[in-house]
Amino acid sequence: MSETITALTGTGETDANVQHMSMQLALNRALDEILADNPKSVIFGEDCGRLGGVFRITDGLQSKHGEDRVFDTPLAESGILGMSVGLAMAGFHPIPEVQFDGFAYPAINQIVCQIARMNYRSRGTLPMPITLRVPSFGGIRAPEHHGESLEALFAHVPGLKVVSPATPHDAYHLLKYAATRPDPVIFMEPKSRYWQKGPVNLASADMDTAAHDAGTDSGGNLTGARVVREGRHLTLVAWGAMVARCLQVAELAAEDGIDVEVLDLRWLKPIDAEALATSVGKTRRAVVVHEAPLTSGLGAEVAQLITQSCFATLKAPVERVTGFDVPYPSGDLEDEYIPNIDRILFGIQRVLEYRRG
Amino acid sequence: MAEISFPLPDLGEGLIEATVLDWLVEPGQQVERNQPLVELETSKSALELPSPQAGKVVRIHGAPGDTINVGEPLIVFEVPDDTAGIVGTVPKDEAPKRRVRLSAVLDED
Repeated sequence: MSETITALTGTGETDANVQHMSMQLALNRALDEILADNPKSVIFGEDCGRLGGVFRITDGLQSKHGEDRVFDTPLAESGILGMSVGLAMAGFHPIPEVQFDGFAYPAINQIVCQIARMNYRSRGTLPMPITLRVPSFGGIRAPEHHGESLEALFAHVPGLKVVSPATPHDAYHLLKYAATRPDPVIFMEPKSRYWQKGPVNLASADMDTAAHDAGTDSGGNLTGARVVREGRHLTLVAWGAMVARCLQVAELAAEDGIDVEVLDLRWLKPIDAEALATSVGKTRRAVVVHEAPLTSGLGAEVAQLITQSCFATLKAPVERVTGFDVPYPSGDLEDEYIPNIDRILFGIQRVLEYRRG
Repeated sequence: MAEISFPLPDLGEGLIEATVLDWLVEPGQQVERNQPLVELETSKSALELPSPQAGKVVRIHGAPGDTINVGEPLIVFEVPDDTAGIVGTVPKDEAPKRRVRLSAVLDED
């Protein structure tokens, strides 16, 4: 661990600001600091208060900041998000939690018809500075409605921003950043990565720790994508939990002499089209990987953005490796549904062997 | 390690308290999920309360004869930091496995 930190800071001395922690703890710490920094911020949701959240993300916050700032709600997502609208209109900065991805459906009306367009509807007089935390994606062997990927649904709605961190460092800084935005942000936490530890530079968001780890610090810009691993032959585009998997695939591809770049989009609305153009402009091949079903998934949007900027130099059509067009399966079948290493390698192979004509 | 407190649940319909008859576990002891923790008596019945989770017992509240209100702490467990949430399991960190090999003739134009 100390070696990692030394490598990260690059100074040979341990930087006291860099701490090794899980994404769970990084998010908890970010929320704690948001509550301390902004007296108008409030956190609420099912089991967020006394229990500290089913994933312990809000652990200890109610006892520290009080029951007026961190509280439990009834089991009614439409109420959680409806209340967020009212609080935002009254000048608060709500940070509601929908306990699991699939529980957002009962609140779609509040999210789409109120939160996303109140600012527009009121000619900018009623902004909705709401950060909606949604433990998202699959990978923890949970039952129905606990493993879904709703990014395309949210990204399609004008007025919403959508972001998903892949590392503890990004989770900490992106959440703090999202909570200061005047616009509603859907914050999709990759729940299968909650327990993975990584370096977090508490002092500087600009230090892109994961890229640093791989020796390719992209300079780190919280509003854009980040190059996690540099490569020459092909770009893997991913977000959330799929970033770590794509890094594994990149290492395996290297054994076969294929140099893969991994791009973590981070923001799924708006998508960093410039980063896509830069990366694929260089590698000329791209595979986009996501857990959500194929049809009308965000992979299609990414493929179009790449085609728009790189059409003349692309060596092959952009491939998509995704979940299937079925409801998210039960835990036992999860490994067959979520893009696994072999399926991603197959996607890469299809791109590599594509020939025009 | 993290501590998780388990408050006395409502053991019937609208009961507000229970009396401790006998503790079946003690601080320091490792318990399994569903292992009997304590014998309690309510105004309706006497019963054994099973453990809601696995963990090491850190503290128990109430000696035999003491009355505990519903919602007050009954027992505190110590659990590893990477214990899963209430739903699902923590994914295992496995070495990547592959069956597919890549082969390509790359023209570096």
